Amino acid sequence: MERILRVNMTDRTASFEPVPETYRNRAGRWMTSSLVHDEVSPTCHPLGPNNKVIFSPGIVTGTASPTSSRISVGGKSPLTGGIKESNSGTGLGRRLARLGIRALVIEGQPKEKGFWLLKIDAKGAAIEPADAWAGKRLSEVYPALFARFGGKGKVDVCSIGIAGELRMAAAGVCFNDQEGRPSRYAGRGGLGAVLGSKGLKAIVVDDSGAKEVPLADKPTFEQGRKKLADALGEHAITKPKGALNSYGTAVLVNILNEAGGLPTRNFHEGRFEGAAKIAGEAIFAGNKERTGAEVYNHACSPGCVIRCSNTWHRPDGSEHTSCIEYESDWAFGANCGIDNLDQIAELNLLCNDFGLDTIEIGGTLAVAAEGGVWRFGDGVRAIELLHEIGKGTPLGRILGNGAVVTGRTFGVCRVPHVKGQNMPAYEPRAIKGIGMTYAVSPMGADHTAGYTIAPEILGVSGKLDPLNPDKAELARNFQYATAFVDSTGHCLFIAFAILDIASGFEGTVEECNGVLGTAWTMADVARIGKEILDLERDFNRDAGFTAQDDRLPEFMRSEPLPPHNTVWDIADVELDRVFGA
Amino acid sequence: MSIEVRLHGTLAATRPGLRAGDPFPVELSGDATVADLVAALTLAPEDAHLVIVNGRILHDRAAVLAEGDRVGLFPPTGGG
Ligand code: SF4
Repeated sequence: MERILRVNMTDRTASFEPVPETYRNRAGRWMTSSLVHDEVSPTCHPLGPNNKVIFSPGIVTGTASPTSSRISVGGKSPLTGGIKESNSGTGLGRRLARLGIRALVIEGQPKEKGFWLLKIDAKGAAIEPADAWAGKRLSEVYPALFARFGGKGKVDVCSIGIAGELRMAAAGVCFNDQEGRPSRYAGRGGLGAVLGSKGLKAIVVDDSGAKEVPLADKPTFEQGRKKLADALGEHAITKPKGALNSYGTAVLVNILNEAGGLPTRNFHEGRFEGAAKIAGEAIFAGNKERTGAEVYNHACSPGCVIRCSNTWHRPDGSEHTSCIEYESDWAFGANCGIDNLDQIAELNLLCNDFGLDTIEIGGTLAVAAEGGVWRFGDGVRAIELLHEIGKGTPLGRILGNGAVVTGRTFGVCRVPHVKGQNMPAYEPRAIKGIGMTYAVSPMGADHTAGYTIAPEILGVSGKLDPLNPDKAELARNFQYATAFVDSTGHCLFIAFAILDIASGFEGTVEECNGVLGTAWTMADVARIGKEILDLERDFNRDAGFTAQDDRLPEFMRSEPLPPHNTVWDIADVELDRVFGA
Repeated sequence: MSIEVRLHGTLAATRPGLRAGDPFPVELSGDATVADLVAALTLAPEDAHLVIVNGRILHDRAAVLAEGDRVGLFPPTGGG
């Protein structure tokens, strides 16, 4: 039977309840955003006892469906003050799904100081003290937890780092990859700080003895699974040794640089002179030189056929870090003016170790450089600043609270954020559709809310001019479709294939029907996506957000961005038209 | 005329010793198009999935190039 597991951190008790009828078909982002909307007071303090953190595996997570091991994490964000959904690839969601746990709700707050660990298995849930794991780097914590609980084949781990323990607004929620590395993150929005505020250091899930995820209609599921697998195997971006598998997401560095949309030195320019030195191709070439072999990427989570997750190796061939995503590469590279991959790798590793969102921290360092704390390009100093965060010094705690807090502290008015969340690696002045998405997404500036880069830059699912301002409909439709994909449990990267290959998208819907026994069609994708966005926007409205929060920062309207020398010129009424508010 | 070309992804591997993103000049006749450039580089038309000329994405392979144009060529690519 499908259940919700509720863990009350006030008295450290756990209880199971059946999934209510209204939530029968909900999972992933649909489930986490529904529970946050229905159970969390929009005006509560994000770090107080009335906030909750919700985990939910997707609709098809735990089945044989390809690239479907994502988990959604939701709550009220201490970074934005609005609703947050952030998701990650991990085997942990798969194990929860096999245990019949559709949602895990962490609520309450202990009166006493301390940290605890939640262990979930077929027998139930148990909570034990975890003070011994606090204050340590995650590269120490994860191996120790695997050793204690039976190894990485048996359990998966979720943990916060020092940043979450210190309730910093840039703290993410860390999951292990298949090798047990603490490297996969539901990074954005500070949900790690919310777990820290509840004293929950780690979650360990063991699904030994669990049954297969039940299928309501096996033939329909199988038909859908095959259609999706065929699309992923066929599309040039998602196929084996295709773009994502060879060069990882960082292959985008050169593309955005050529297109003049690679934000450089705190969004002062759209091109970085060091782009070729930090791009995905340079990672591939550097690894080959240092290890003596071509290093293709790996799957971050079980059952992923796209396999985009990379590693970076030291000069002696040993592994330095995984994974240098495009966003992280850009955040510490172009946005900080650093063109040295070893320094970028170290910054990435430190974020993984301290439990930080790389996008927010890269953006924060850039704002700090603008405020005179350090000089753009000085990678050695950037690494020292990261250590300040890890040590929890006063300066470190300012930086760990993100770009807006840092900008305010150092008197910087050029902070590229929306709703308090720093912008990711696409320049809105050069790519208008993604700018509209940043502006209106209930999550704050977020590229994964609706990846309009596909048609605007990559020529996937259409060929649009990035500088054309007529993108309201695009920004709306992509957000609806994305909210649906985020609910299935699939990685958003299946979108490259299913947006171009119609049978792949049909297959994705059929798989859901096969699991749930529903009769959804393509029309239901937009209906469900809209329902999710409506819930999220409702929550934000009740938290005090207005249309004025759906705007980009002032400086983008007046400062032309080289090389196109364009400003942000989308009228506010156009932004309000996205959701028809 | 001389065009400033950058090859990316797997396309760079077609020229030994070339690092993806490093520019090199290509000499073409005065009225050469994007398609002519792709042919001069001995690339198959479908390999150059994405063509960026002076920062603008060009989908029309018959577009005529001009002296000094900066052209980036990419195979099908995605990320996030
Ligand atoms: S496509 Fe990449 S990020 Fe997505 S699940 Fe696979 S390895 Fe992880």
